[in-house]
Amino acid sequence: MDRRTFFKKGFATAVTLSAFYSERTFALLGFGKEAGLTVDLVAVKGGEPDEMFRRGIKVYGGLGKFVKKGQKVVVKPNIGWDVTPERAANTNPKLVYEIVRHCIDAGAKEVHVFDHTCDNWERCYKNSGIEKAVKDAGGKMAPGNAESYYHEVTVSAGKNLKKAKEHELVLEADVFINVPVLKDHGGSRLTIAMKNLMGIVWDRGYWHRNDLHQCIADFATYRKPTLNIVDAYAVMKKNGPRGRSIDDIVIMKSLLISTDIVAIDTAAAKLFGYDPSDVNYIQIAAEQKVGRMDLENLHIERITI
Amino acid sequence: MRWLKKIRVFVAVGFFLVITFILTNLGEKLIPTFFLNLLVALQVGPAVIKSLLSLSWFSVSLLIILLITLLFGRVYCSTLCPLGILQDVFIRLKRLNVKRNRFVYKKPLYTFHYFIFTLTVVLAVLGVPLFVILLEPFSGFSRIVANIINPILAVINNWVFNIFETFDLMFLYPIHIGYINVYIVVLVALFFILITFLALYRGRLYCNLLCPVGALLSLISRVSIFRISIDENNCIECGLCERVCKANCINSAAKEIDFSACIGCYNCIDLCPTNGVVLKRRRCIVKNLQNDVDRRRRQFLEESMKSFAGLILPIRSLSKKGGGEVSRRFPISPPGSGGIDRFSSICTACHLCVNSCPTQVLYPSFLDYGIGGILQPKMNYSISYCNYDCVRCGQVCPTGAILPLNPAEKKQVQIGRAVFIRENCIVVRMKTDCGACSEHCPTKAAHMVPYGNLYIPELNTDLCIGCGACEYACPAEPHKAMVVVSNVVHQKAKLPESNNIEPHSNELQDFPF
Repeated sequence: MDRRTFFKKGFATAVTLSAFYSERTFALLGFGKEAGLTVDLVAVKGGEPDEMFRRGIKVYGGLGKFVKKGQKVVVKPNIGWDVTPERAANTNPKLVYEIVRHCIDAGAKEVHVFDHTCDNWERCYKNSGIEKAVKDAGGKMAPGNAESYYHEVTVSAGKNLKKAKEHELVLEADVFINVPVLKDHGGSRLTIAMKNLMGIVWDRGYWHRNDLHQCIADFATYRKPTLNIVDAYAVMKKNGPRGRSIDDIVIMKSLLISTDIVAIDTAAAKLFGYDPSDVNYIQIAAEQKVGRMDLENLHIERITI
Repeated sequence: MRWLKKIRVFVAVGFFLVITFILTNLGEKLIPTFFLNLLVALQVGPAVIKSLLSLSWFSVSLLIILLITLLFGRVYCSTLCPLGILQDVFIRLKRLNVKRNRFVYKKPLYTFHYFIFTLTVVLAVLGVPLFVILLEPFSGFSRIVANIINPILAVINNWVFNIFETFDLMFLYPIHIGYINVYIVVLVALFFILITFLALYRGRLYCNLLCPVGALLSLISRVSIFRISIDENNCIECGLCERVCKANCINSAAKEIDFSACIGCYNCIDLCPTNGVVLKRRRCIVKNLQNDVDRRRRQFLEESMKSFAGLILPIRSLSKKGGGEVSRRFPISPPGSGGIDRFSSICTACHLCVNSCPTQVLYPSFLDYGIGGILQPKMNYSISYCNYDCVRCGQVCPTGAILPLNPAEKKQVQIGRAVFIRENCIVVRMKTDCGACSEHCPTKAAHMVPYGNLYIPELNTDLCIGCGACEYACPAEPHKAMVVVSNVVHQKAKLPESNNIEPHSNELQDFPF
């Protein structure tokens, strides 16, 4: 290899690498600060789901701050149950549509949406309205129903959960956007952002057998979404997570956005009316330094429409 | 009259391909249920049973088929019976090897055939449809597709999927194959081998020896108006017609055709070099039947019709019986089936419901309903659970064993009740939160109540519909803490009381942080 080719190759590698790491490196080095990344949490209230998202993401300078041209994006809503959108057991399809739309406008190469559902997956995708929303927005629905999609990963900081099988789409994605719906939950009290990550792993029974709260926190030490967006437009206040009827729902017209999964769960728990420290996994995750529970010390943007 | 065979082959091949395709995983997804119902309504076995339960459009199609039989004999057996056409496929394949089939006339074993038929009917009337399950041709065929062809297709699909998946192509989805029960596959395979063997050995022997639909139509075709016969003026006694007769019913030496064994394939008419075999109006005197046989036949017909009618009575009375004694010993029958006695006395184990159940919770049993209910489907909560809003099985059931329900009705049909075994529960054993059962429960019959600083499940069995979601989801090992036990007679679950927690308010308070 002569000197010229060495330089050429070296330069090409450097460009590729920097493109690959750009977003994370920038954030780590603090380059993003002037672009508005100093905000820790954005809370929006009083609008339709899509409108609230548009207003909220503006604070960060648009979704383009997280999604770069040509990147692979995975959007993970909650699509766990075979119920209609007004039952609010799944993430609001309007919100999912808007997020996928923004990803594509930001130049994403492809946007995949999936969930490892509880009820029959085809019925969930269809009846939640999310399949249609994603297709209309130009994204792709991907299945999560077979073990062969999931590959073993090591949760090195995990206490009870040392290993898990994670969906390959998330493993391959450049950007992972976590879009839970805020709900009452019989097993873990509340399901928000950290709990929504159970939908990207295969064996959930293991979590239930080995201290659910600890496992949820353990997995959050490993998988840190690029961005978390909590749908609290219609909130299931009881009989969660599946809900029994429309009577379980209270319209709260709220939306939270944060890169800190613990902060967003803390804020959502407060919105729901709970003391966040009563929701065990939030407490454990904060202790394991996954994120921060001290909302009073964080920079929160509050928007009322 | 050679066009008769052409029409027959055209209808048979078309019908066979369409119904087979609809019964496969792929067709089941692509083609609306309406078409499946339409095609299955043309099946005599299910149509007879369904018509005895209640009058529906199945009765209309049954009437048409019986009328056609009365006019032209058993053309049904060669056009609309998928099991018959399957046998024809084997017979045809054999011909590729042996240049011409050489069938010879055998006196049909009417006594044995009608004895089996009577036994089938009598047992079915007594609520034991064992022989209907084993011998009814549509159920037999549908079972072959469900238990042999579909798993093979699924394996091929998953195999192709794996290849595509390595290239990150995601348009194919893997099909989950439920647990394979060896007994069931072996039983169905044995039936398939029997059919193949009989077809290769002696043509349509099954249809004239064991088939209950064959027996019924054979009785009717004894008085058919247009029948195949040998025109003595044209016949040159070459014997070709006898050699091609799959039903072995042409005696070319005596120039007689035993029309009640004829399955209406029209191969004889097609092959006869001199138009010596013709379809024409019957003469006043049927040669090979004496008058006293005629009378006995009529009596037999009357009696078998009466016995068929008798089916209705025990079935109706069963469904009215109260009770609902529960025990894990009994299988859980699908919603709409009324209970295990009613279900087991009607179901012919065609496995259409097993095939089209979206969650695959319906599963063929082996001997759970007793020997008389061999292969009938049951709910299997180790594989899946019954989807709260789904009423698919009732929509496809051709016999009325599972009656169609609307989703609102279905949500109150209690097919079983959950039992909570506290000692097995994760919350008690591990002292950690779990709640998987309550998560999945659609009615919140299973709900969480405080237990120290944890939450433990509690059951309100009045609300439970026995869908099995809790049992399926329960992660406890090796024994589940939630188990659903069968309601021998299905009950009506209470509707949960609806009470709003607060009015749906749009009022905005300040952010609580």
